[in-house]
Amino acid sequence: MLDTVSLFENLRLELRRGSLVLAVLAALRHEQCGYTLRKSLAEHGLAIDEGTLYPLLRRLESQGLLASEWREQDKRNKRFYRLTADGTLILEQLLAERLDIDSSINEILEPRGVK
Amino acid sequence: MELIERYLQAVQFWLPKAQKHDIIAELSEDLRAQIEEKETNLGRALTETEVGAILLERGRPVLVANRFLPQQHLIGPVLFPIYTFVLKIVMASYLVPSALVWIGRMIYSPAYRGELLSHPVPAILSAWSSVWATAFLAFGAVTIVFAILERLQAKSRFMEKWDPRKLPAVRNPNVVPRATASFEMVVNAVGFIVWATNMYAPVAMISDVRISVSPLWPWFFWGFLLVSLVNCGLSADSLTRPYWTMQRAIVRLLSDAAGSALFCWLLKANILTGLAVANVSPERAAEITNIINYWMGRTFPIAVAIGIVVAAGNIYRIVRLKTAGARPRLEAIAH
Repeated sequence: MLDTVSLFENLRLELRRGSLVLAVLAALRHEQCGYTLRKSLAEHGLAIDEGTLYPLLRRLESQGLLASEWREQDKRNKRFYRLTADGTLILEQLLAERLDIDSSINEILEPRGVK
Repeated sequence: MELIERYLQAVQFWLPKAQKHDIIAELSEDLRAQIEEKETNLGRALTETEVGAILLERGRPVLVANRFLPQQHLIGPVLFPIYTFVLKIVMASYLVPSALVWIGRMIYSPAYRGELLSHPVPAILSAWSSVWATAFLAFGAVTIVFAILERLQAKSRFMEKWDPRKLPAVRNPNVVPRATASFEMVVNAVGFIVWATNMYAPVAMISDVRISVSPLWPWFFWGFLLVSLVNCGLSADSLTRPYWTMQRAIVRLLSDAAGSALFCWLLKANILTGLAVANVSPERAAEITNIINYWMGRTFPIAVAIGIVVAAGNIYRIVRLKTAGARPRLEAIAH
């Protein structure tokens, strides 16, 4: 029998994966450390576990989309991430792409001229 | 907190040397921030059990570390289907003959059969231990070759270079190629003529050897002649209509079954009744006759096995023809 619950869960995770990159890039237009970033994403309904977030931050940094630096805050050493100029450009392109995808899907769901 | 230190040490063990300090510093900071926040909310320090629960939620150290490592595989998704395909072919082409040899020994070696029946477990283990050793060796060799190909593919991307025009033509197993039909026609016609003109007499002279056969021989003569004639007709029909029809497939099944049955009977019929060879004593000639009849009889199981395989192929063809109408053909889809 088709397990629709786990199937939906798998497809939901697949759908969210790409969106998480977008959300992380968007959130890092303002400098943040990993922990506060995770909390802020969760507050906006995009909870992400640390095992996914930190490797993702490292990957985006190695791709030149993020920059980071260790700094002391509240007597503790923390690593702060922020979007680079290349990251800003890619974020704009990805947001435009997402709008295109949304509009295509909406058109498929409700073709023009059909009510 | 000692538990956190132990956890971070376990994660660190699996991390690449160049990044381990950086990653651990960041994970440590994240953990401490989470614990600190909980402690502030509760207004007290967390117990070891509560810290343990947080670590449990984060996951096993090796899995946490693994997320920071680049994705690694011995054989990647591009080559994996080809790898499993090659592995199946290699294993089938090695294990099937090995199994056939084993069955052959069971049939033809009374000593081996006796040994197997009296001590089945040691006999089976000794027979298959060498087979499995070689099978594992073959499996290892194929895996190593594909692991090397994977590295080359990662560098040169040779799998991405291909030409659609070099793809094989669409296969239709129900089509009979004209070349095949012509070849079958020639072979059957020549066989028919040779059989009809040379094999009728129950006594034949080949060079200086006089061969006498059993009174049953006319059954075989006319039987094989009829099978050959039917096969000639089938080949001729295939030349004019180069595709399998249900009617022709059924006739082919009957003709092959009759041919196999006749051949099996021939092997068991002690068909040779006498040989007369110049410079060979009648006793020796009789001995040779018996040996030939004996070995013809011994090959009976092989002939039966071949007959069954041929019949299975014919039945498969009939089933395929029966179900072909229900599915769209590739050629139709392409158009």
